[in-house]
Amino acid sequence: MKKILVANRGEIALRIMRTIRKMGIKSVAVYSEADRHSPHVLFADEAVYLGAAPSSQSYLNGDKIIAFCKELGVDGIHPGYGFLSENAEFAQKVTDAGIEFIGPTPEAMRIMGSKLAAKESVKKYNIPMVPGIDRAIEDVNLAIEVADKIGYPVLIKASAGGGGKGMRIVEKADDMQEQMERAISEAKSSFGDGSVFLEKYVTSPRHIEVQVVADKYGNVIHGLERECSIQRRHQKVVEETPSAIVTPAMREKIGEAAVMVAKSCNYVSTGTVEFLVDDKLNFYFLEMNTRLQVEHPVSEMIIGLDLVEQQIRIARGEKLGITQDDIKPNGHAIELRVYAEDPLNNFLPSIGTLTKYEKPTGEGIRVDDGYEEGMTIPIYYDPMIAKLAVHGKTRTEAIQKMLQAIKEYKIEGVATTLPFGTFVFEHEAFFSGKFDTHFVKNYYTPEKIKEKQKANAEIAAMVAVKYWQERKKMLSPVEHKSTSWKRRLAH
Amino acid sequence: MAENKKTYMVKANEFVFTFNQEEIDKADFIKKNPTEFNLIRNNRSVNAKLLESDITGKEVKIEVDGETFELLIKDELDQMLDRMGFSTVSSKHIKEIKAPMPGLVLEVAVKEGQEVEEGDKILILEAMKMENSIMIHTNARIKRIAVSAGQAVDKGQVLVELE
Repeated sequence: MKKILVANRGEIALRIMRTIRKMGIKSVAVYSEADRHSPHVLFADEAVYLGAAPSSQSYLNGDKIIAFCKELGVDGIHPGYGFLSENAEFAQKVTDAGIEFIGPTPEAMRIMGSKLAAKESVKKYNIPMVPGIDRAIEDVNLAIEVADKIGYPVLIKASAGGGGKGMRIVEKADDMQEQMERAISEAKSSFGDGSVFLEKYVTSPRHIEVQVVADKYGNVIHGLERECSIQRRHQKVVEETPSAIVTPAMREKIGEAAVMVAKSCNYVSTGTVEFLVDDKLNFYFLEMNTRLQVEHPVSEMIIGLDLVEQQIRIARGEKLGITQDDIKPNGHAIELRVYAEDPLNNFLPSIGTLTKYEKPTGEGIRVDDGYEEGMTIPIYYDPMIAKLAVHGKTRTEAIQKMLQAIKEYKIEGVATTLPFGTFVFEHEAFFSGKFDTHFVKNYYTPEKIKEKQKANAEIAAMVAVKYWQERKKMLSPVEHKSTSWKRRLAH
Repeated sequence: MAENKKTYMVKANEFVFTFNQEEIDKADFIKKNPTEFNLIRNNRSVNAKLLESDITGKEVKIEVDGETFELLIKDELDQMLDRMGFSTVSSKHIKEIKAPMPGLVLEVAVKEGQEVEEGDKILILEAMKMENSIMIHTNARIKRIAVSAGQAVDKGQVLVELE
C-alpha cells in the first residue's frame, strides 16, 4: 500500500494519518466546508473537498470518496469510526472498486450489524447471552412462562427499538399484561413494528468490552478488556483498562468468548466485542463493533500495540506478528472523553470558539484531538473535542495522573466534560471500582461540581480583593518611593 | 462607616461574593511572588495565580485549582451606582427569543399571532446531532417569526419576536 485515504475527520482522522506517515505511506484527507482549517486536513499529504458541512453531503458520500480514490491512485481506505465505518454496502463498493477496505469484510459487518443475526451467528459457540426469548412474542401467558424461567425483573424490548424507546421493565407477573400491551403499542407507534421480545433485566450492569485483532488467515487474538461503565445518555465518557473487577480467570474466559465471537463471523482487522456484566460477574454477549473503537488508546497504552498499524498490516495481507501469549497488561490506562458539553446543564452541547486551548503534556499522557486554539466547534458533527488518556504503573497512579492532567488542560470558550471527569475520578465509587452503568444517575448532580467551583471562586475573589488593595497602596503617592509597582504592571 | 465594615462585592464568573474589610484582613494570605499567592481557607491550602489585570486592578483573571475566574471588584461606590442603574431595568420584559447556541432550525412549532404560554415549545434547534427544544419562559403573543425550518442560525440570532 502506497497511499491511504482516511474517510473521516477530526481527531480520529489525524490519529490514523500519524500512523500512516510513520509507516512511510502517503495520506489523503477528505474535508467538508466546515473543516478546511482542521488539523487533519493540514497534516495530510493530499486533501480533497467533499462538499457542504452536513455529513450527508460530505463525509457520508461514499461514491464521491471512491471516485476520488480512483482519481488519486489510492489503494486503501481507512474509515475511522462513525460515518461510513460500519456501512457494509460502502465496504462492498470499495472492495468492488479494487481498493482495500481497511477493516472487516462486508459480510462480517452485515452479520454483526443486526442484533438477531449476531445472536444467531454466535449461538453455536456457546457464548453466554442474556437469558430470554429472542423471537417476537405477543402472548402474555408465554411471556409469563418465560419470565418465570429466567427470573424477574425482565425487560420487554422492541425488536426494532433503539435508544431506550419501547423498553419496559417488569418486576412481577401481575404487571406483565399491562406492560406487554404498552410496550407493543409503543413499539408500533415509534417504529411501525409491534414485535417485542423478552430478556432478563440485569439490575446493576457493567459494560465491559474486549478488543480483538484478527488477520486474514484465521488467527485471532484478544487485546484484553476495557471497562466502559461510566456513561451519560447511554454513551461512554470514561474508559479504563484493565477493569478493576475482572480477575485473571474471568479475563481469560471473557477473552476467549470474544475471540469466538470474532471467529463466528470470520472477522478480519480490529474489532470490539461488547459484554454486559452483572453484579455476580456473569458476562453476556451484547454486540460486536466492527471498527476501530473510539477508546482504543487505552488498550494501546497497556498492550503496547499500535492498533491502526495492525489494521494496515492485516489489510495488506500480513500475518499477525504476535500470539496471545505476547499480550500482557502493562500498568493501567484511563481515558476521559472531552466533549463540548455542559455538565452543569444536562450535558447539552456547548458550542463556540476555543478562545483558549492548552493541552496537558508529560510522560504517560496522551491527547488525541483535532482542534487548535481559535477554532470553532462545528454544529454538524459529534461534539467531542479530544480524548485525554493517561497511563500509570497502577490504577491509583493513573487516577492521580488523570486528575492532574485535567487541571492542566485549559479550555475556554466552551463548557466541557473536564469538570465531570474530576467529579468521577475523585468519587469513592470510582476509586473503589464498585460502580455500574447507573453511576451518573446514582451519584452525579451538577450541584456537586457547582459547590467546588464556588469554593474556588470564593478563593479567587478574596485573592482579587487582596491584590487590588495591595496594589492601591503601592500606587498611593505617600507610600511608593521606588518603581516596584511598575514591575508589577509589566508582568 | 467604620473602615472594617466596608464591603466589597466581587463577581467571579457567575458567582457573586460580598466580603467586609474585617474578613479580608483576617484572611491567611501570602504572596509568593508578584503573580502567585497562597490562601488558607477552611483549612484548605490553595494556590492562586494572577493571569491578567486591568490598570486599576479591579478587573482581573485568576486561576485557582486549574480553573480560570474572571473577577470584577465593586467597592461601595460602584455598588451604589449599580443600584441606581439596575432599578430602571428591573421590570423589563422579554421582547424576543434568541438562539442559545448556533444550530439548524428543524421545526418551527408556532405561528405568527399565536398566543403562547410559559413552557410552550417555540422551535427545535439541532446542534451536534442533538435536537433541542427551545421553550418560552413567559406568556406572550408571537409577533414575528424570524427564521424558517432548515435555516442555520448563529448564537444570539433572533428566532422570534414577541409582543
